[in-house]
This record gives sequence, structure tokens and C-alpha cells, in this order.
Amino acid sequence: MSRKHRFMVVDDELIVRESLSAWLEQEGSVVSKAESGEEALKLMEQNFYDVLFVDIKMPGIGGFGLLQKVKELFPTTLVVIITAYGTVDHAVEALRLGANDFLVKPFDPEGLGLLVAKLLEHRRLVEETQYLRTEVTRYRGGLDEIIGSSPAMVELFETIREVAGSESSILILGETGTGKELIARAIHANSKRMGGPFVPINCGAIPESLIESEIFGYEKGSFTGAVRPKRGLIEVAEDGSLFLDEVGEITPKMQVDLLRVLQDKRFYRVGSVEPLRADFRLISATHQDLHKKIADGSFRQDFFYRINVISLRVPPLRERREDIPILAKHFVKRFAMETNRNVDSIDESAMKILVDYPWPGNVRELENVVERAVVTSRKRIITADAFAYLMPGVPCVPVTAAPRSLQDAEVAHIRSVLEESDWNISRAAKVLGVDRTTLHKKIRKHDLQPANPKNSDMTVPAK
Amino acid sequence: MTKRKTQPPAEKKGLLSVLPLGSVGQDILRIVADSLQGILRIPVDLLEAEPLPPHTFMEARNQYNAMAIIRFLSENHSHNSFKTLGITGKDLCNPILTYVFGEAYMNGPSAVMSYHRLHQGQTEDPVSREQFLDRVVKVALHEIGHTFNLPHCHTGRCVMRASNNLKELDDKLNYLCDYCELFLFESLKKALDVHRNA
Repeated sequence: MSRKHRFMVVDDELIVRESLSAWLEQEGSVVSKAESGEEALKLMEQNFYDVLFVDIKMPGIGGFGLLQKVKELFPTTLVVIITAYGTVDHAVEALRLGANDFLVKPFDPEGLGLLVAKLLEHRRLVEETQYLRTEVTRYRGGLDEIIGSSPAMVELFETIREVAGSESSILILGETGTGKELIARAIHANSKRMGGPFVPINCGAIPESLIESEIFGYEKGSFTGAVRPKRGLIEVAEDGSLFLDEVGEITPKMQVDLLRVLQDKRFYRVGSVEPLRADFRLISATHQDLHKKIADGSFRQDFFYRINVISLRVPPLRERREDIPILAKHFVKRFAMETNRNVDSIDESAMKILVDYPWPGNVRELENVVERAVVTSRKRIITADAFAYLMPGVPCVPVTAAPRSLQDAEVAHIRSVLEESDWNISRAAKVLGVDRTTLHKKIRKHDLQPANPKNSDMTVPAK
Repeated sequence: MTKRKTQPPAEKKGLLSVLPLGSVGQDILRIVADSLQGILRIPVDLLEAEPLPPHTFMEARNQYNAMAIIRFLSENHSHNSFKTLGITGKDLCNPILTYVFGEAYMNGPSAVMSYHRLHQGQTEDPVSREQFLDRVVKVALHEIGHTFNLPHCHTGRCVMRASNNLKELDDKLNYLCDYCELFLFESLKKALDVHRNA
């Protein structure tokens, strides 16, 4: 056995509790005993149980009452109904209410051994199937992976189904953390190109000097270090979809190059004069206001029209608060499985905090908050104290929007280290783990200035 | 590398007793006492026979309640010896199982076993005396193993493997695997320390 299984024997007769628990303990399992359904439910709130053996006749809510409660609150726990007076009616009722088996006392020892082995194997298979199903859905990136039942999301799902089949370029707009890449994957998974690759590129994460060779590839000897030819991501995306994430970060030069590829359906590797066929469907995404960027001249209008044949807007989480409970439940299930923790649900007061929170980081922030709660929870049900830091007035996590893009985070971090070291470049470079030249370049690139120039140790070089 | 086994120190009498409940054959008692002494390496006392306590008889099932017998042994014999194994030729059951070959609580002071069903062969004929005694030793070791906190073993053919029928009982060996032996001696050593300080 890979882990100790946990059982509970619920019976008002002491002798039955003792006999059955002694038998189960000999298997090396952890066994709890309860003499009523109410006591069993209390224990279940504290601990996870694989299998419950429940007697039908008990004072209080009784065996069937407990069975119903367990199936409602802890659906992954298996329940075996036991009775001294087995009738067909009882057995049918037990199975109708979701019991996993029905035993009449006394049991044949061989039958009990087989039953327990069968139940534990069933449990293992259910867990494995759930895990594999999640992995397959995530791998295929279907619409199943996007969760939401709000009108805005239902409309978005409809639009995805309508536009996925076409070959037109799609621009996905939405705040950071709203799941733009998931939408792009869903479009790909529902398109005619679903058999081809889905190639995501985060335009903000690839350095300007590398992006050309990454996207178009290069020939051997085209520059120092090009010791062998390399396929670009456009080639890799052949017959599939190319996803340009953070397309607003793309340089004007690259916009021209990509525009040419989109118009001519041909491209050249760096250092090559041989044209190559480009056959991909372009999906782009940004959280930026591209119209503003066009107005200030940092984004080309012709490139914008080319990538924005169809545009989709992913609503931020605060505009679809009704989706928060189902998203939170989904994340609880996922992280409980991934981190192997026995957490089942979120109670009402905790859910209210989640629903009321503004979610500047959208679904990604919710995902992280729930992951933290699952990992730190000592109970099966997550309570309000796990999310107390999200409530107004609790300064643990600032509610204001923190920098979200990698570049914004970099700028904020460099600025704070420079301020801490009074703009002493050598000291700041040491803290940042880069050399002075690199730090000077970053300061120039991001046009960083001391907050209080009098205190600084340096004069910022002209750009 | 020479294999070293943890060995408990030699002890005075009174640690483990075998108690015949009703009339039990001398060869059965002797082989059980010898096997336990050989494997546990502690002296085993063979007690005078006692009748099965009448209140442990379940008239409706025509069987004796193993749980009730264990409770009786714990209440009446735990002052005489550290662990007591009762042996009977009567059929045993417990409130939830139709029959048991033996019964013990994990880490409990007493265990009970029955050889009532151990004669049965695959056909109508009983098994040989040799095979019967082999089964008796396996059940005795298994139940005493539970009193030293050994759970069911899931590796190989160790005597601590669960056996719910005679075929499963025959399939296992009449000794402990290396792991169970190690755990048993650790548990025995702890028990001896407690016994000495008591």
C-alpha cells in the first residue's frame, strides 16, 4: 500500500465498532470510531476518510441520513452500509442514495477482505481517472478548461465556436491574468488546424536582439554563434497556430517583418535568400490599449488591422463575479489533487470574501490565492481565516494593482534596489546580481531617474 | 556483509504464556510453544488448561465469541504474563464475521486461536497431521504478531500476510519476513523495557 488508508466505523453498538475497527487496524489502516451520524460528520470535518462503514439503525440522523450528508459534503468518500437485518428494500434504498456497497452482519471474512480491496482499488482508479482527464483537457486546451457560466463567458464561448473554424487572424483583448492563452488554445483546439502545433510566443519575454532569430530562424553562419541552422517558430507552427502573447510589446521593426509574412505568406530565415512558405493561423493577445499605442506611434496601424481581423474581449473577473465560486471550487479540486492534500471545499463566509475581492490580477490571482489556501489548510473545508488577508484593512497583501508584466516587474524591482542603495550603481548591481554595464543599460532603457536626485550617488547618463 | 539481527536480551519467565482453553492435544500445545519460543527467543510458559468461559458462547451461532474470549484473557491473565495466547478446538467468530481462525487486538495483551477449521482439506478428507500442525503454527504466530503491533504484511509469503481462507493460510510460510522480524524485535525490546520497569 502506498499510504495508510483511513476508515471510520459508525455504529451505536460498541462491540461492532471494536470488532470491525480491530479487523481494519490489522490491515495497517487508520481507523476512527463514531457512535452516531452526528459524531461522524464532526470527525469528517477534521480528517479525510477513504471509506465509511455505517450502520443503518442509529439514533439521531441514522445511517441513511449520514449517507446522504456524506455524499453531499464529501463526495469522494466511499460509504458501505451495514445492517443486522438485511432486506432487499434496505439494500435498494442504500444503493439509490449512493452507497458503494451493502453488507449484512455477520460478514464472511473472505468477502470483507475482497470488498475492502475492491473499494480501495475503485478509489485509486477514480483518482487516477480524474487526474488523467484534467491532464488531457489541459494538454488539448479545449473549451472544457475555460470555466465560467456568466452571460459574458457564455457569449465568449459562442464567439469562440463561431470564429475558430475560420482562418482569420484573431486579437484577444483582456486584462492580465484573464486567461487569454487558454482562449487562444481553445480557438486552436476547435479549429481545422487542431492537428497541427500550437506555438505560443511571449513577445515581452524574448529580448529584442533574439526575437528575429527566434521567430524566423537562421542559417548556419548568419551571425556569430550560428553554428548550425535553426528553424524559427513560424516554421514550427506550420499547419498549426502561432500565438503572439503581449503583442503590444513587439518592436516596430518586427511589426514590419511580421506584416510582410502575413501579407505574402512567405518569409526568410535570417541570413537566407531562399523564401519559405508560411502556413499558420495567427492569434495575438494583449492587455494594452493598442489604439493608444497607434496614436503615440509605437504600434503600426497597418499591422494592427492585419492582426485584428476578429477581436475577442475576455471580461475581467470583477465583471463576472458569479463565476468566482465555480472557479474557486475548480481550483480547490485541482490543487488538492496536485498537492495530495485532503481539502474538499470552501465554506460560505470564505467564499463571500473571494466574491467581494476586486481581483486586480484576475483568474491567475484567484488561482494563486486558492493554491495557497489549499496548501496551508489543516482542515478539509477552507474557512474565512485563510482569506483574511484579502479583506480591506489587512495590509498583508496590497490590494492595489501590482506590476503584472515581466517588464513592469523588472522596472519596479530595479528602481527599488537603486533607491535602497541611494543610486550607488556598484552596490545596486551587486544586489541585483548583474554587472554595472548591464545595470546602466537597464537604467537608460527604462529611463529611470532617482526619486530624490540630491541623495543619489550618480548622475543619470543621457539616453 | 554479515547479516545482523536485532536480538532481545534473555528474560525471565512470565513473558509469554500459552493457555489451553478446554481439551487441547499435547502435540498442538508443544509445537505452538516451541515455535513461539524459537522465533521470539523468549521463554514461553505452558499453562494449565481452563474451560472456555461460558458467557463467550453465542447460542444463536453455535460458536464462541473471540472478542469476548480476548477480553476475558486480558482481565484474568495479564497479571500472570505479558502476552497470553489462548488455544481452543471450538469454532470462533466475532460479532461481525462468520468465523475467524484467530483474533487479537493490535498491541493487546492477549490473543486467541482455534484449530476447529484447520483440519479441512480441499476434498472431504482432512489434511495430514503435519499440514494441520503447520497451519496451527501459522495462526499462532500471526495472532501473537498482532499483539506485538505487527499489521498485515503485503510483501511475499510472510506469516503476517492476511489469510481469510485455508488456501491463503497454506500459501504463506510459517515464519516472519525480514521486515516483520525487525519490527517484532523492536516492539519486543520496548515491551521488555516496560515489563522490567513495571
